[in-house]
Amino acid sequence: MSQRVYITGLGMITALGNTVSEGLLSLSQSKTGIGKINHLTTRYKDEFLAGEINLSNKDLADLVKDSNPEYNRNTYLAMIAAKEAVIHSGIDTKDGLRTGLISSTTVAGMGITELYYKELFEKTDHLSVIDTHDCGDSTERIADYIGNVDYVTTISTACSSAANAIMLGCRMIKHGQLDRVVVGGVDALSKFTFNGFNTLMILDREWCKPFDENRKGLNLGEGAAFLVIEGEDALLKRKGTPLTEIIGYANANDAYHQTASSPEGYGATLAIQQAIAMSGLQPSQVDYINMHGTGTPNNDLSEGMATVAVFGNQVPKFSSTKAYTGHTLAAAASIEAVISVLSLQHQTIFPNLNFTTPIASLNLTPVTELLKTPINTVLSNSFGFGGNCSSLLFKKV
Amino acid sequence: MTKAYINGISCISAQNTIDDSWFFDSITPANGDYFSAIEPSYKDHIAPNLIRRMGRAIKMGVTTANLAIIHADAKKVDAIITGTGLGCFEDSERFLLAMLDNNEQFLTPTSFIQSTHNTVGSQIALIMKCHDYNFTYVHRGFSFESCVLDALMLFEEGKETILVGGIDEHTPNFVTLNRRAHKLELQDTTKPIHQSTSNGVQLSEGSAFFLLSKYKSDKSIAAIEGIKTLYKPKTSEDIFEKLTAFLKLHNLTLSDIDVTLMGFCGNQHFDKYLNDLLPKLTTDTAIASFKNLCGEFYTASAFAMWVATKLIQKQQLPQSIVIAGSEPKHIKYVLVINQYGGVNYSFMLVSQC
Repeated sequence: MSQRVYITGLGMITALGNTVSEGLLSLSQSKTGIGKINHLTTRYKDEFLAGEINLSNKDLADLVKDSNPEYNRNTYLAMIAAKEAVIHSGIDTKDGLRTGLISSTTVAGMGITELYYKELFEKTDHLSVIDTHDCGDSTERIADYIGNVDYVTTISTACSSAANAIMLGCRMIKHGQLDRVVVGGVDALSKFTFNGFNTLMILDREWCKPFDENRKGLNLGEGAAFLVIEGEDALLKRKGTPLTEIIGYANANDAYHQTASSPEGYGATLAIQQAIAMSGLQPSQVDYINMHGTGTPNNDLSEGMATVAVFGNQVPKFSSTKAYTGHTLAAAASIEAVISVLSLQHQTIFPNLNFTTPIASLNLTPVTELLKTPINTVLSNSFGFGGNCSSLLFKKV
Repeated sequence: MTKAYINGISCISAQNTIDDSWFFDSITPANGDYFSAIEPSYKDHIAPNLIRRMGRAIKMGVTTANLAIIHADAKKVDAIITGTGLGCFEDSERFLLAMLDNNEQFLTPTSFIQSTHNTVGSQIALIMKCHDYNFTYVHRGFSFESCVLDALMLFEEGKETILVGGIDEHTPNFVTLNRRAHKLELQDTTKPIHQSTSNGVQLSEGSAFFLLSKYKSDKSIAAIEGIKTLYKPKTSEDIFEKLTAFLKLHNLTLSDIDVTLMGFCGNQHFDKYLNDLLPKLTTDTAIASFKNLCGEFYTASAFAMWVATKLIQKQQLPQSIVIAGSEPKHIKYVLVINQYGGVNYSFMLVSQC
């Protein structure tokens, strides 16, 4: 149970770019990926902004060289990011070590189901979409794309999904179940999720303003990010290079409401406290927090309250990167894990965009300019519907 | 890995398993090419104001979770882990159809909120006010298996009481679409399911929950010894090799197994590897099937775990599920070998405690 776990490979596709380095470039220039909707078919496309990846489903299919006529955006995004992570890490899945794949998604195949659902009852052309509707489909296609995967599973805990995939990967390595795991999450934009969030009235029609007193809601985004994580034994065996160590993680439940966070952020407080406790560090040793910070009135207040509950009047430097990518739901935690690793590698905090006024009751001000500063540890929070709260703690190697 | 004691169980399935006294005595047949769950009157189990809004998966899940906790006489749980292959399909479909029919207008959020796959797990947490570990696995024929593996790891990490369950529902439209895609087929009930020559399964649904404890108590019915999943094994020899290694890990061989529950589903292609394995198993153990009773769905293995627990509790192997071998004198070890879609294979080992 004492084995250390390291991140050794990164892969990411978001509105910021199709690779980690494209994403890093946009982040370094404080350039958002959120803009006008071009590819998603919805009657609201001119009314709302989104962090959409500027590639058609056909473009994505070409990128992964797939000839399947049912262009499943969700699966393609995951395949692209997972492959990038595997290549980046340099692992060889045929070397006899046990490789796992733990993915996560909320939208799964809905993006394609919603296009054909009504006609499935009359025509037979697209009946195969019922094979791609469930969450496991994309995971198995990524597994086959990577090859030689010994263990696969999929998690769906709303917007905290990928944090739980990363956490489970760490635990399976520590328990000796696997030597290394490709972990992450994916969610493509769909009409279904877009309308769902719209009925909840938590979408901002302009750019989202995380942690601002006048924030109105979130911008949806899409993307996938995967990380290769390895136990120190496996890493030594193949003489690989670690990028970052994962030193803490925790999962708690707010148990307050199906969709809303408790005003005092109880579940979030538990997750943050337990993740830090696991690392053996003191809260004062956390150098930067990549917040969940969706920009909704409820989340940011609740998360802010939890932050104050844990850190008191010594709140570390923090920012939310949701205003770059949009809220990518199941993928958010793995995208932000990649961004956290980039922060540690480049000793840089990517600023919280669109912020002007602190939330009156909290008076917390995020980092608003690109900041080069010594960072040894990064805490990353992810919270979701159903009260699912997860925090991860990363350390520079 | 330490074992987990099963202190409370509850199951809603295509059979009358929700009745505690049911033990394979009256068998309810399928409705042609699919089964429907025999559901209880939910008002006995869930607050009326909640029932109205809940989809069937949520009602089945919350009820069986609650009963498993009551049977175990557990005061609190340290983790809630649910598995569901399809999630809350009824709510997803309701929101989807409303969105398509009304051209994205006049929508209400209730069914969207409940369409999330973690709804059952989070509703249980909400009702119990459980702030602890909460996970939902959604991987096809590994959904429930992932829960069990997670629970076994959590016990080693210090948790003491864990609720695990597998839940899946279908809707009339989902049955229709599977039928249109030629995935369903009426099974010939005069022959045992493993001899089926059909190209389809009988779609089904259900929910089974287990209250697991790190410690043995007078409530303990059986114990989970271990779990192993195999993704796309290449041959049946490969499965047999992994099975032998799995048993060896628990210091057992096939001759120690009293009953093997096999996940034959009726689709002859999906069942091929299990049929290839049969001759290697029959000399040592009584073989039984379970999907002829519960039908096929992503979390049918949770039903199998319920059957395994019941066989150990009652120390009887009902003839209605036996497909080979004779009734063992004593049931100490029950092995579940499941397959889903000929892709997801799993072993689960349950023992008398």
